[in-house]
Amino acid sequence: MKDNPTQSGAPDRLLAVGRVFLEAVLVAALGAAFAFAANQVSPKSVALTRDYFPTGTPHQVRPVANVAPPPVTGTNPAPISAADFAANFLAAQMKEKGLQLIDGRQALQYFHDPRFQQNKVVFVDARKEEEYQKGHIPEAYEFGPYHPDATVRSVCLQAEQVVVYCNGGDCDDSENSALMLRDVGIANQKLFVYGGGMTEWLANNLPVETGARNSGILLKTNTVSGTNALPNVNK
Amino acid sequence: MDASAVAGRWLLGGVFLYMGLSKALDPVDFLKLLRQYDLTQSSLLLNSIAAALPWFEVFCGLLLLAGIAVRGTALTLLVMLVPFTGVVFHRALLLQAAQNIPFCAVKFDCGCGTGEEFICRKLLENLLLILLTAWLLVGHGRQWSLRFNLLKSS
Repeated sequence: MKDNPTQSGAPDRLLAVGRVFLEAVLVAALGAAFAFAANQVSPKSVALTRDYFPTGTPHQVRPVANVAPPPVTGTNPAPISAADFAANFLAAQMKEKGLQLIDGRQALQYFHDPRFQQNKVVFVDARKEEEYQKGHIPEAYEFGPYHPDATVRSVCLQAEQVVVYCNGGDCDDSENSALMLRDVGIANQKLFVYGGGMTEWLANNLPVETGARNSGILLKTNTVSGTNALPNVNK
Repeated sequence: MDASAVAGRWLLGGVFLYMGLSKALDPVDFLKLLRQYDLTQSSLLLNSIAAALPWFEVFCGLLLLAGIAVRGTALTLLVMLVPFTGVVFHRALLLQAAQNIPFCAVKFDCGCGTGEEFICRKLLENLLLILLTAWLLVGHGRQWSLRFNLLKSS
């Protein structure tokens, strides 16, 4: 049975529109099912219940060393350098979150600490796997976003000092990872965030290990004593 | 006319496939970019978006390339594209105010899967995608489709 086209035009159009809507709902439902399933099987999946940003606040822009500090006012007794201003700003942010910020000199001290060889002082690399593989502080543990290594927790529990780092600058992965470690039971007073991170480490020509932890492949092996940026460190 | 619409369908499918895969390869990076929009404080919701959206785009891209449920897919994409473009525009305005620069000089990674881009270029791209999607929604691009209408009329 066929309707008269002049009479059935409007209902047909409505039916066609309804079909498109229904089709869109089906696409959305099937797509969502596909998407969550794909995320589950993907080697780089997002864990739905994990808090990736325990710092809570959105990524904040930090002042960097080449940004001018606030002008000196009449009541301000001495000018502050841009680098100091950036460091102070970062330290205040860390303190707010109950974390301790360390600079390159302190990081190097920990690196040369005799307890480092006994795993009593450990470095934790909070960057992505590819970055870790390209180069990390020798013997640092990988604690990237996709495969948070369960052994890191037990190692950190045994350690006396844990130094967490990422790339420095605007990167806040080290803060987030430090807070994650704190949430799984690592005492606050053990946790240190190396603010300058890998960028500063590399800039100072310090030793870098590539590939897996303890691969033994070092990019720089003999320039520690030659660095001018971090003098007066006991070896 | 329909040959151009088919080319448009393939182009749109390819774009979504590419953008989806580029995000799916590093969804935590995408999550970080999403966080900057400050859309929600719920980490579960934000994680769900970062987990699902890239693969959802891949799914839609594949449907368009194959020519399955084209109008329904186009409608779904339109519903995603329009508010997302609004959110990107809003963020660009905030950045412009913060940096005190001309609007078109604002450059940032919107989390679209194409990296850092100047905002005017990004908005133009999105406008083209919206127009292309609307073109498919009204019924063009039927040729070389596996099943243009998923729900066939009886």
